Amino acid sequence: MRGGAPGGSAKHAAIVRRPFFWIIALVIAAFAVAPLLGNDVELRESLLLAAVYITLASNLNIMLGYAGYVNFGSIVFFGLGGYLCIYLMGSPGWPLVAAILVAGAGVSLLALLFGLGILRLRGAYFALGTIGVNEAVQAFVSNFDPWGGSSGIYLSTELFQALGGPMQALWSIYFLLVAVMGLSLYLSYAIKSSKFGLGLLAIGQNEDAAAVLGVPTALYKALAYSASAFLPAIAGGLYFFKSAFIQPTDAFDLTFSTEAIVIIMLGGQGTIIGPVLGGYFYEELRGWLLTSETFSHFQLVVAGVLLLLIVLFLPGGLMGWLHGRWPKLRRVLE
Amino acid sequence: MNRLCLMAAAAVIAAPAASFAADNTLTIGMTQSRTGALNVDSLAQQRGFDMWRDEVNAAGGIKVGDKRYKVQFALYDDQSQGSRVQQLYTRLIVQDKAQFLFSPYSSGLTATAAVISEQYGKLMIITGGAEPKTYELGNKYLFQIITPADHYLTGAVEALATKDPHAKVALVYSDDPFSKAVVQATRDQAKEAGFADVLDEAYPPSTTDFGPLVNKVISSGADALLGGGHYADGATLARQLYDQKANLKWVTLLVAPGDAKFATLGQAALGISVGSQWEEKATFKPQIGPTGAEFAKAFKAKFNEEADYHSASGYAGGLILQHAIEQAGSLDTDKVAAALNAMDITTFFGQCKFATDAKHHGLQVAHQMVLAQWQMKNGKLEREVIWPKAAATADILYPIR
Repeated sequence: MRGGAPGGSAKHAAIVRRPFFWIIALVIAAFAVAPLLGNDVELRESLLLAAVYITLASNLNIMLGYAGYVNFGSIVFFGLGGYLCIYLMGSPGWPLVAAILVAGAGVSLLALLFGLGILRLRGAYFALGTIGVNEAVQAFVSNFDPWGGSSGIYLSTELFQALGGPMQALWSIYFLLVAVMGLSLYLSYAIKSSKFGLGLLAIGQNEDAAAVLGVPTALYKALAYSASAFLPAIAGGLYFFKSAFIQPTDAFDLTFSTEAIVIIMLGGQGTIIGPVLGGYFYEELRGWLLTSETFSHFQLVVAGVLLLLIVLFLPGGLMGWLHGRWPKLRRVLE
Repeated sequence: MNRLCLMAAAAVIAAPAASFAADNTLTIGMTQSRTGALNVDSLAQQRGFDMWRDEVNAAGGIKVGDKRYKVQFALYDDQSQGSRVQQLYTRLIVQDKAQFLFSPYSSGLTATAAVISEQYGKLMIITGGAEPKTYELGNKYLFQIITPADHYLTGAVEALATKDPHAKVALVYSDDPFSKAVVQATRDQAKEAGFADVLDEAYPPSTTDFGPLVNKVISSGADALLGGGHYADGATLARQLYDQKANLKWVTLLVAPGDAKFATLGQAALGISVGSQWEEKATFKPQIGPTGAEFAKAFKAKFNEEADYHSASGYAGGLILQHAIEQAGSLDTDKVAAALNAMDITTFFGQCKFATDAKHHGLQVAHQMVLAQWQMKNGKLEREVIWPKAAATADILYPIR
């Protein structure tokens, strides 16, 4: 788990032979090892948020970067996954791993159903629809008493004993989140390298043309929507388990969704490493601004201006800039 | 490879600069909501903390055995959002080496921060989280200074029952953990008092237009409205009730009317009451620290603003931590926690005693709230204590319109 589980895509021997496969493994290894050197808990907390951001952005990228569908409400997967997991671990007393897997599968299935509905919409209508889904789910959960309504669900900190006590549990949760992040990157990579991914890219270019050429657009879009829900839901489960507390306003916070979009823009949409760069730098920037003596009072302004500058002058994101500067990188860094 | 170099370089930059706290300072960590919806109440709480710190340091610091420790704060902005709270509290403990913690403001943020305090075994004084569930999860290091949420409107129900035992009550409240916990208890208390519950409606915490809701209140035929949430929504609700001439006989809101700024609503504030953790006019005989009047005067001199109960609870939180440290004669978390567990003391803020059984550890069991009402005195709006009778400084104004 610490190294970099190669994920389900390992069976594609062709992928394993490519250098990019190992670049992803290196990223995962760096995340896993960096906080272990010197037992740096502070770095771990920061990288944990970065890993969550990267997971959200990377999965969102499947819809946004490949298929060209802007999903403003992607956080709904994260929140629902969190709720399912925390609920199952609460009164039914499920173990963590079972709870997150069921949360992932459940949310994925739900996304398939939602997807078949709202993916009939295109462009701005789809974007608004996704916000609607998030709001509707939040309103439902806020009034759903078995999940504590708007008070949310509180978990006993004693549950951390199963993972070797609270301190050890934080490390375990971190490594699990890094693994989820790694799987997200491999999933992105596997999809991009497959016929399915090619179909999505075609939809992103011109949906009608893709349909005429025989791409089953409705099915592909719904599958992509559902696939991009699985790992964020698991990440949500882990994230809220770490908090031992979940409430609707935190679980379905649209800011998180918007941040994921910003991260993709920052890193470079449609690329696999883009969300990693974007997520890492975004987290470092926000964390630094929030805690800096000088900037903490107007950190939101500084963050806003910086992001504006990046969008204005680096429209392809960091990856676009890297590829432009060193064209040879295109072949190695996807 | 490039990516790794970047990571390594960034990790080096991000690596914490060791904090060089002099060994005669005591660091207390906390987050404040400088931005976001909780800003007003959080700032008030923070001013209470700040004033306590400045007074302690001016007096030479906290006495621990035969040494004296000056107090310094490590403080970050949590943006009124749960997502950063855990990261920031971890940073406070790990990097800033905070020896003790104060809670953020609001029940939701406190619940999130409480987990970190338990995970790292740091003691947290809670002055801004009233929701009782947080204390029922088997904690060892949480200590709540304020009365828990289920008693916020008890005084209002009792006072109203003396004026109209068959009042028709509308419960209109913010859809957040704190307000819902309050109303859950109030619902039962109102039923016991014999009131008819004619409307029961939650609104999103960020609501700015209460028009439709006020119409519902009017058409429900309610005599009294109990509810509200925090400052921003409560103040707006009060103004719109007045603007739309709801003509209720009784209105008690959470939190908002407890702030001095509430008087800026003018006529709309008249008669509105609030369950208050502390009022300047309440006269407790403190065993430690200043009297209520002394505190209020010093606060006004320092910040040029009236103290409200959030400021008072912040200051009292500092006072109680200080007393526990001095009693323990040590900065050791477990020794200070033991001193807090054994504590039963009255400050200007009221009595303070914590539940010590494992199922409710840290829950405040002795502090009592008062009910305060905005009344007109010599052409000026003033908040008077009207309940409990023993502490009352004025008669109950009823009906308010």
